[in-house]
Amino acid sequence: MAEPVRIQPDLKFVKELQDVGGESLKKCYQCATCSVACPLSPAENPYPRKEMLWAQWGLKDRLLNDIDVWLCHNCGTCSDLCPRGAKPGDLLGALRNMVYRKLVAPTVIGEWMSSSKHLPKLIAIPALLYLFIWWLSTGLTIPEGPIEYGKLFPGDFTIDPIFGAVFLFVCACFAGGVLKLVKSFQDLPQTFAVGVKAPPKPTLVACLIDVVKDEIATHAKFNQCGKDNSERFTGHLTLFYGFAALAIVTSVVAVAHWGGKILPFLTPMGHTPMHLTNPVKILANVGAVLLLTGLIYLTRRRMNADPAKSASNYYDWYLLGVIWAVALTGAFSELLRLAGIPTLAYPVYYLHLVAVFMLFAYLPWSKLGHLVYRTTALVYARYSGRLPLAHPEEKTFSV
Amino acid sequence: MANNSILVVGGGFSGITSALEAAEVGYEVFIVEKNPYLGGRVAQLNQYFPKLCPPSCGLEIQFQRIRNNPKVNYFTQAEVTRVTGAPGDYEVTVKLSPRHVNEKCTACGACAEAATTELPCEFDLGLGMRKAAYRPNIFAFPMRYVLTKEACGKDELAKIKASCVYGAIDLDDAPREIKLNVGAVVWATGWKPYDMQRLENLGAGKIGNVISNMQMERLAAPNGPTGGKILRPSDAAEPKRVAFVQCAGSRDENHLNFCSYICCMASLKQATYIRERYPKAQVTIYYIDLRTPGRYDNFMKKVTADENLHLVKGKVAAIVEHAATGDAVVTVENAVTGIKSDERFDLVVLATGMQPSLAGATVAGLHIDEDGFVTSAPGTGMVASGCAKLPLDVMKSAQTATAAALKAIQTVAGR
Repeated sequence: MAEPVRIQPDLKFVKELQDVGGESLKKCYQCATCSVACPLSPAENPYPRKEMLWAQWGLKDRLLNDIDVWLCHNCGTCSDLCPRGAKPGDLLGALRNMVYRKLVAPTVIGEWMSSSKHLPKLIAIPALLYLFIWWLSTGLTIPEGPIEYGKLFPGDFTIDPIFGAVFLFVCACFAGGVLKLVKSFQDLPQTFAVGVKAPPKPTLVACLIDVVKDEIATHAKFNQCGKDNSERFTGHLTLFYGFAALAIVTSVVAVAHWGGKILPFLTPMGHTPMHLTNPVKILANVGAVLLLTGLIYLTRRRMNADPAKSASNYYDWYLLGVIWAVALTGAFSELLRLAGIPTLAYPVYYLHLVAVFMLFAYLPWSKLGHLVYRTTALVYARYSGRLPLAHPEEKTFSV
Repeated sequence: MANNSILVVGGGFSGITSALEAAEVGYEVFIVEKNPYLGGRVAQLNQYFPKLCPPSCGLEIQFQRIRNNPKVNYFTQAEVTRVTGAPGDYEVTVKLSPRHVNEKCTACGACAEAATTELPCEFDLGLGMRKAAYRPNIFAFPMRYVLTKEACGKDELAKIKASCVYGAIDLDDAPREIKLNVGAVVWATGWKPYDMQRLENLGAGKIGNVISNMQMERLAAPNGPTGGKILRPSDAAEPKRVAFVQCAGSRDENHLNFCSYICCMASLKQATYIRERYPKAQVTIYYIDLRTPGRYDNFMKKVTADENLHLVKGKVAAIVEHAATGDAVVTVENAVTGIKSDERFDLVVLATGMQPSLAGATVAGLHIDEDGFVTSAPGTGMVASGCAKLPLDVMKSAQTATAAALKAIQTVAGR
């Protein structure tokens, strides 16, 4: 006779899951429609039916170690076809939210990021910080002469050190998170194919290349997901390339500016504000337009979504809201500067700094954390054999 | 003016039963039936569960009781269009469609031979064809032919009329309206199979070898389009691998938000149809929960003891056609093993649910819930019977029919 299995449900965890977006999980009656509906779910132990069961039973350990929540790109087809309105798509989203909330220390930030009631604190930190700097630089007044934001917030002494520190802090947090995540995946039960010669294990580099090609750069998997995905696909891809463009711009400016201290010929490339015909500035403006376009697509989709099929939660709106704030304040900082209206331009730039801080400093605990966690999981899924490589390595063996 | 007669809307098993129960204790009843025959869904079955006897057993007795009871009046091809009044005094408007065949008909079949136009057979749920002049089914009550006049040209109609030596063809028959005064109304409007076209992920009714469970009854019935041979529609081949897909539209808030109660038993029953005809056939039933309440559990145990019958827990959520062979490929996750796979079958039967016939309809004075079931409101003379009330098997339909008759009598008694 089989060993009896003692299930120790964590009821508090079930409650927490319901709070972060899985409120319908108890409606599930295990019909398994969702696992079939999902175009990405593997044939062996497909998701999300098993996750629905684990969630109902409060099997916290299994859920928090579950790599499959990252294989889901949340198209919502499972929720559309769900006969009970249990919204399995939302549950997987809730599980990802749980990772944002709990994976990385200091978890108090995760706590603050989980509910709108803590939002004032999150705003207050950068708001006070940059207000203090403004007070130090000009005593909270609007400076005379041509608009240069460096007059309020001198790059070398305020912007760069703060964001540099934030960058290192975020990197350290992510490094810890990635290690923790991989370790949790390693605890997964292994699948062994008996009698079948296992294909050679791919290298980590090959897996990473596969993920970058198939998932990130082209969003190919993301696009396979769902029936009518064009709005989500276009929006997400546009937003992604908007960010990519702006990341390149920031890197060029930072490298040229600080590199210029050692190699003086770089300095002019990093000098801001740039002329509108400067290629870097053109890229920056293109990035801003892409960002706004993507935001419009994604926000419109969420506004029009049928609440009976998929509900947007605080994590979704926080991220969209902050990116909107970054994009709008960024665009208006530039426009107001060009229009020469200092009384508006400086305060808007101040708001821009607050928004950018909120996007980056809290990144490991926000939905944008998927950038790192999902990439980690997708690479590991290929490495461990959970997912096949889309483009297997070409290897020739001579006999 | 107070009236103590009773109207029964629907002449299926529950309607007939309600009518007879009231008539046999002395009340005058009127049955209004939409089809050209009485017997409803039961008449279309091959066998009842769990005893696996043919529907003529049961229906025949009921028809005999109707013939012998002058208190029972019935109208076929008739529909209630309006009900006004109050308990004890309703005025009901009934629209009668023309049959074009009068009571002189002897069911000799000469008109059907003379007819050349063929139409999809409603009784066989589109699996076969019928002539424009036709007998609704072999066991039709009343046993009288019907002519679909609008489908024929002038010459054909003349030939059909000439073929009848009894003068039973009446081409001048026209739609009529009659008014009935009754004291109570029993709604025995029954059910319809859930429309397969709405099950988009299950092929939307467009895959030839994916049929509904009611179509399976017609394939298995000796009076059906194949004479009782179960052959798949695309190429009339004998199926070797057959799948049943449970909850096709039932227990699903996107379709029918309730359990249709009979489909598990119906599929088990139909599995026996296949297994007795094809000793080597493999049958798989895909289910969420196998619901065989009460004594039906014994039937389930008996049927599933067959080693060629496989039960898989997991709802089929996708069906596509295998282009080369016409086979149906179903995708399902076995929720016990956690393996998702594509399985090929020669024939797939969707256990489509019971949708109440009144779904989406509004009738003044009648309470219909969001699913389309009639809810009998106390104090009114409107009573629900059979599957108009909730999903039921034949036995329980008869029980609710007797109860409905009693409630109707309580409304009209002493008036």
